[in-house]
Amino acid sequence: MPGMTRATAAQSVWRWIGIIAGVVWLFIAFYPILYILLTSLRSQQGFLMGNPWLPTQTPTLSNYATVWNAGFARYFLNSVIVSVITVLLILVCALPFAYAVVRTRRLWVQGLFNVLLVGLALPIQAAIIPVYILVSKFHLYDTLAGLILPGVAFGLPLTVLILVNFVRDIPKDLYEAMAIEGAGDRAVLLRLVLPLSKPALLSVGIYNFVQSWNNFLFPLVLTQQDSVRVLPLALVNFRGQYTINVPVIMAAVTLSALPLILAYVFGRRYLLQGMLAGFSK
Amino acid sequence: MQHRLRKAAAAAITLGGLAAGVAGCGNGGQTGNAGTSGNGTAAGQQNITLWDIQTGDLQKAIQSMVDDFNQSQSNIHATVQFFENDPYKQKLQVAMGSHSAPDIFFGWGGGILKSYIDARDVYDLTDALNKDPQWKNKFLPSVMSAVTFDGHIYGIPNNYVQPVFFFYNKKLFDQYGLQPPKTWDDLLHCVQVLKQHGVIPIALAGKDKWPDLMYEEYLVDRIGGPQVFDNIVAGKPDAWSDPAVLKANEMIQQLVDMGAFEPGYASVGYGDGEATALVYTDKAAMQLMGSWDFSSVLTNAKSMVDNGQLGWFPFPSVPSGAGNPADVAGNPSNFYSISMDSKNKDAALTFLHDAVLSDNTVKRLIDLGQVPPVQGIEDQLKQAKYGDYMTFQYDLVKNAPHFQLSWDQALPPAEAQQLLTDLDKVFLKQMTPQQFSDDMNKYLQKQ
Amino acid sequence: MQPPLPAPELLFGGGRRAGSDESMERRTPWPRTVMMLPTLVFFAAFVVIPMAMAVYYSFLRWNGIGQPQWTGGANWAMVFHDPQALHAMWLTLAITVLSWVIQTPLSLWIGVFLAGRQRYKNVFGILYFTPLLFSAAAIGITWSYILNPNFGLVLSLLKALGFPADSANILGNPRWALFTVACVVSWQFIPFHSLLYQSGSRQIPETLYEAAKIDGAGPWRMFFSITLPQLKYTVITSTVLILTGSLTYFDLIYVLTGGGPGDATNVLAMDMYKQAFVNQNVGYGSVLAVILAVVGVGLSLVMLRLTGYNRMDSQLEGV
Repeated sequence: MPGMTRATAAQSVWRWIGIIAGVVWLFIAFYPILYILLTSLRSQQGFLMGNPWLPTQTPTLSNYATVWNAGFARYFLNSVIVSVITVLLILVCALPFAYAVVRTRRLWVQGLFNVLLVGLALPIQAAIIPVYILVSKFHLYDTLAGLILPGVAFGLPLTVLILVNFVRDIPKDLYEAMAIEGAGDRAVLLRLVLPLSKPALLSVGIYNFVQSWNNFLFPLVLTQQDSVRVLPLALVNFRGQYTINVPVIMAAVTLSALPLILAYVFGRRYLLQGMLAGFSK
Repeated sequence: MQHRLRKAAAAAITLGGLAAGVAGCGNGGQTGNAGTSGNGTAAGQQNITLWDIQTGDLQKAIQSMVDDFNQSQSNIHATVQFFENDPYKQKLQVAMGSHSAPDIFFGWGGGILKSYIDARDVYDLTDALNKDPQWKNKFLPSVMSAVTFDGHIYGIPNNYVQPVFFFYNKKLFDQYGLQPPKTWDDLLHCVQVLKQHGVIPIALAGKDKWPDLMYEEYLVDRIGGPQVFDNIVAGKPDAWSDPAVLKANEMIQQLVDMGAFEPGYASVGYGDGEATALVYTDKAAMQLMGSWDFSSVLTNAKSMVDNGQLGWFPFPSVPSGAGNPADVAGNPSNFYSISMDSKNKDAALTFLHDAVLSDNTVKRLIDLGQVPPVQGIEDQLKQAKYGDYMTFQYDLVKNAPHFQLSWDQALPPAEAQQLLTDLDKVFLKQMTPQQFSDDMNKYLQKQ
Repeated sequence: MQPPLPAPELLFGGGRRAGSDESMERRTPWPRTVMMLPTLVFFAAFVVIPMAMAVYYSFLRWNGIGQPQWTGGANWAMVFHDPQALHAMWLTLAITVLSWVIQTPLSLWIGVFLAGRQRYKNVFGILYFTPLLFSAAAIGITWSYILNPNFGLVLSLLKALGFPADSANILGNPRWALFTVACVVSWQFIPFHSLLYQSGSRQIPETLYEAAKIDGAGPWRMFFSITLPQLKYTVITSTVLILTGSLTYFDLIYVLTGGGPGDATNVLAMDMYKQAFVNQNVGYGSVLAVILAVVGVGLSLVMLRLTGYNRMDSQLEGV
């Protein structure tokens, strides 16, 4: 092109460098995921004999059947129970708390809120020893409740913080209008704050679901029996059982992420927004 | 929880059984507290409670043993409660401390039992056994050392032996004209030949660290005899600097230098099944492992066992070593002991005498592919499925003057953990034998 | 395992505006106390009390079940002379620095790259973010097969290229194990941080770039004089998350190496776990747990203070 200036030439070079780097990163970031999916469709023989980095010629779903028949349904159900109840409890506790913090100008309320915020920086690893001892003392060791309760506690600080910021943005006029109608706190919370907070609740709900679904340390320390095993722990156990039957293990890995994969396919925007939670404005 | 893993694995595995849950922590299996409730308290009836941790088929065998016993007795009623492995240890410790222990408890012998004995929580069985020589001589002597302290016996074996030895891939050995090595030099020769042909000589599950320990246990015993480790357990000053320990670690590093182990052996696990997979996929020729490895091969590569391609041989002798080359290491058995708190010690003794490893129980264990440590079962074993393998184990233990309990079971947990880390460093040549001994001396603990 | 740390603008935007509503004062706070109760109970029972217990345990010699013994500061005196604990602290520092150095430039670039609205970038983005869908356990297991020295994917690739059969010893080599773990950790978390940067970059006003273009600025200059300064607070958020997150890497290390080979990846969180739950040394494990908590909270506060984040609101309002 005769009319091309030096600046645009440089720009186009940079653009191509960007695209090439983007493709390289695509390989690094996505290839392992592709490997999981492709391998899960392979037969064991095909895995040992064929080229493990290429797709198989004869895909099979039998690995998924194997995983499912090895008690996977139970672990999946356990994970669903733990994550769903954890999320619900977190939301049920956090929204009224956030409302109270926003609508009460008392030093002690703000003080309690600030104490809760310190909890944001506390890693669960730091509390796991006493949590283990408490859970055992309350006879919750090896129960799903023993996973749910501490999970709720550690999910609350961030949830409350995000909801406080959201509830605070509800226009003052709306509160005043409700006050004129003579609505009490309960009515305001249920009829005004709850409906308006739905997007925020969805977002933090997703965030907490992902955290709970993927939590490894709590189940590792707080459970042992097969009957209360959740997915991340079950995966580690599967590896012990199926060893070099990598296709079966990759099928288990895929199934363990199934809810998130489906959410990603059908509601990517919500899922990503939820994962970012309060980390980005 | 690495060092407990083996117990979990051992408990979960049965020969004909399914794949064992050996990864992570915990043995896949039964819920705890699945005991029968004994509430028939007729006049003069004595109730005894028994704690055990078996799962699956072995749990059924124990339950049948208890049921048989209750049927045969008119005024003793035994009740068994089953627990998960790790919680059990805690439960037992709490019970001992609060004097609410059951009449009969399940144990591993060694250090843990010793600590209860020192606290006067365990009933001494010596007199009862001495009065009944037939009972006393029923068990293989090498197994009894785990429950014998200062000549007093505190437990009765209750299940099966799990010695450690080499498994080998016969196909690879035949291919390169090798014989199972009898001496250390033979072993080195095998390593050399296999290495030359591009075969991994020995699979080692270094990621889990406890498989490293098997080499140390055997070499120290072969070189210096059992006394060396007894000194370590007793916490004698500088016990880890014993020449036998130094020499053993030099020999380990000799193997490392020869490239005896697979690439990346420090990241290959036993719990995730890789080390054994190396053997049954013909990548590696040998593995030093406990008897439970047989069932792993059976689960994953049954044809290898059926075609007679899986072989086994005892740990080789070390020339001019002070130890007896017939000694074995591993898990001798588990044991029942009577607690001092028991109000019905006589009834508990009757139970130990009549029920534990009774003919029926022995038969049940053999049917499950396990080798109980009792005399005179050679014929039964030979006729059993995989009888040659069971006979090999039996003879190994029967002929052993000493059965070394796994060191990580025999030592206090903190010292055991440090031992595993430091030994791993010896295998990685991050530590010299001298550094290993110096460092471990700092962790010596009096029991 | 991302620690639940908020965007600091939320944190510090907080107190100032709270309760600016006059009408609220008339209400009785009693139902509100009830509203706050469940959260407070949960938080007290499983966060506050456990942390207090951890501090208390750190002065005990206790195996978790038997009779605890008060040992005063013995555990604390030991920790700073214990070569294993010091080594664990060093590894934790090393993996923190490594994670930051690997993750920050890559995430920044990817985020900015993805901020463009071209369709192919959209497709790239969809694929880039897929690692977010998998748990640390799943990722650890997958990578342990990819890197497996005897059956792994990397090995078969190397072998196909003619390298010898022992060339894939990555995780089993104490020199490389920590770096490898840091790379896998980065692989896991870069998608998250890219997402952060993408969302940050998209909020940069287009007018700034247009003005710069008129001045004849090239891509480099635009990046350094517009994009980077505008992303300052995203960089800080991401950095705080990486630093505090690194303190607690556990799941992946547990699955990939278990702290080995030797103690090459035995970071503080791993050491704490082993001391408490394997060695049954609850007192000493608690010392390490308290150190983790103090460093975690301290690091967050210092980062926020040093970077002047609490002045941010006024800045934002000036935009």
